Amino acid sequence: MVDQVHKEFRKRDLLYSGALWLLSLIIPDPQLHYRREYQLRRRDLFYLLTILLLPLIWNDAHFHHLMVLAGIHGILALGLTLFLGYAGQISLGHAAFFGIGSYTTAILTTRYDISSFLAFWASGLTASFFAYLIGRPILKLKGYFLALATLGFGEIFLVLVRESPHLTGGVIGIFDIPFFSIAGFIFDTYLRQYYLIWGVLIGLVLFSKNLIRSKMGRAFLAVAASEDGASAVGIDVNGIKLGVFVMGAAFAGLAGSLFASVMSTANPDIFSLNLSVLIVMMVILGGMGNLYGPIAGAVFLTWLIDGLSRYQEYSLPIYGVILILLLIFFPDGIGTRLRVRLIYLISYWGRKRRREKVEL
Amino acid sequence: MFVPARRSAFRHAGEVGEPIIKDYMDTWNIIPQLLISGITFGAIYALVGLGFVTIARASQIINFAQGEFVMLGGMVTFFLLKTIPLPYPLAALSAILIVVLIGFLLHLLVIYPLRKATLPILLMATLGASLFLSSSSALLFGTLPKALPPFSGSGPFEIGKVSVSPQSLWVLVATLLVLLSLYLLSHRTLLGKAMEASSTDALGADLSGISRHLMIFLAFGVSAGIGSIAGIFITPIFYVSYHSGTLIGLKGFIAAVLGGWGKHGGAILGGFVLGVTESLSVAFIPSGYKDAIAFIILLLILYLRPKGILGSPFIDSRRW
Repeated sequence: MVDQVHKEFRKRDLLYSGALWLLSLIIPDPQLHYRREYQLRRRDLFYLLTILLLPLIWNDAHFHHLMVLAGIHGILALGLTLFLGYAGQISLGHAAFFGIGSYTTAILTTRYDISSFLAFWASGLTASFFAYLIGRPILKLKGYFLALATLGFGEIFLVLVRESPHLTGGVIGIFDIPFFSIAGFIFDTYLRQYYLIWGVLIGLVLFSKNLIRSKMGRAFLAVAASEDGASAVGIDVNGIKLGVFVMGAAFAGLAGSLFASVMSTANPDIFSLNLSVLIVMMVILGGMGNLYGPIAGAVFLTWLIDGLSRYQEYSLPIYGVILILLLIFFPDGIGTRLRVRLIYLISYWGRKRRREKVEL
Repeated sequence: MFVPARRSAFRHAGEVGEPIIKDYMDTWNIIPQLLISGITFGAIYALVGLGFVTIARASQIINFAQGEFVMLGGMVTFFLLKTIPLPYPLAALSAILIVVLIGFLLHLLVIYPLRKATLPILLMATLGASLFLSSSSALLFGTLPKALPPFSGSGPFEIGKVSVSPQSLWVLVATLLVLLSLYLLSHRTLLGKAMEASSTDALGADLSGISRHLMIFLAFGVSAGIGSIAGIFITPIFYVSYHSGTLIGLKGFIAAVLGGWGKHGGAILGGFVLGVTESLSVAFIPSGYKDAIAFIILLLILYLRPKGILGSPFIDSRRW
């Protein structure tokens, strides 16, 4: 019955497809990985133009600063979505890799006068090195116990940072980290930092896009679907899990380096469990298994936290309630859910009008 | 930089969550004292771990808000005792009731709506609930750390060179009583068996007419009760403030995993091993690293023997 309805072309289908096309511009595609091959779509041009033009149109320092933070969170969420959204593993220690990247840059630039551009790459390498060390033993775990083990790693990292003041400045942290600079060009205003962060983010998105359509990316999905099945078809499950963990950590390390050189401070309070929870929330609210969703989730949650900070001591309880409500009502991501609902509604309107016509 | 001049083992003595120990000069002389405080710590971790085990035996959920029940137990008792002057036993009982109510509400408002959700979502939801509970208790009861008066006696009594506070004995008694009643509940009553059935085989439990969600609901109440009892018994020894729940909860969980996930005896054994190890470590390494010890133990046990010391009924295969 439904199939018959959709076979014939009706004039009003033009209207629906127009609405869907508009929707598809804004809302991330939840089924990106079902497509055979990724190609640059019109939607990407739309995103790119928005990212480039938005800070020029909305020329406000607070907005720029917020979007800088959102971009850093976006890089973090992008790294975690490879691990959580594609490979189906959970990590509550992502903030530790962010912290490792941050402290690497802080120490290299303030103690050894190494240029921040070199420190940027060194941070990614250091974070992925630690991820390799920690990932080897703990990635055999699953579910809750993997979450707990990564959480434990995050807590150990925090204790080590607090207790070695000669290296990391202890609880006070490290100050006066120089701004990021390439060949004498210093990113010292919020607008320049905005373009720096989002430029890096775009580069990492392109990298991830290519990654997930590669052989390795398909292996991520296979591991997430069934580890036994994946190993039966010849996928090195442990290697894939370790690889994606290291890659997510490298992203986090790069984000940490950018954070240190943009905020010019590194402090153990930032890299606590709360940040890890926040990153996982970004990925969940953005929708598992797509790349744009977590970035949208990062922007959304950064704005939410900034908006809530107006209520001071009430902000944390409200934040907790909002998180729980979002999880209850949008368990597979805000974008995915809205899209499914809207498609359902549009098709429902179509069927309803047709039914009425038949009854008449 | 505010680097302390002398990195003594007792740098934090008297601070939040630290036992107050006399500053003996010789490391080896303080070992018995550390052992005593380790056993007290161990009893606390065991109590908190029993709360985790109760929920795990009724469903495969790990409730990250368990530590907040402990914190709330102490906080609500303090509030009832000081603001509305209730007699001590009445205040403690009403605090337990209130926290059990909060446990029921947590199930009804968070866990039950998410009964079909995947693991990361449940994990995040309980973490969100934990954030909500701790921050609202900061709003309601203030951010200052609080301590209840001890149940009996004033000062610690001395056995040889070791001083023992009477409250430590109370904590041990409470742990034993809770263990005993949980054992009776799960091995001698139909309700306990139904709870266990709903965890081990969901479909089988449904087929034998067990209301699984009711069992999980009850388990949340019981575990909140255990948490609040733990909170009331430990608040006279350690200051409790709004953010101390998370760490206590995590360590209780580590205790439960260390002893054997899903076993009452495992939680007790794991609690004592963890408490004593942590306390003794203070003699050899700076006490700031004490919190890392528990997590290092967690990583080691998960890597070397995920079943825990006593073995676990839920983790049977080698790949899990």
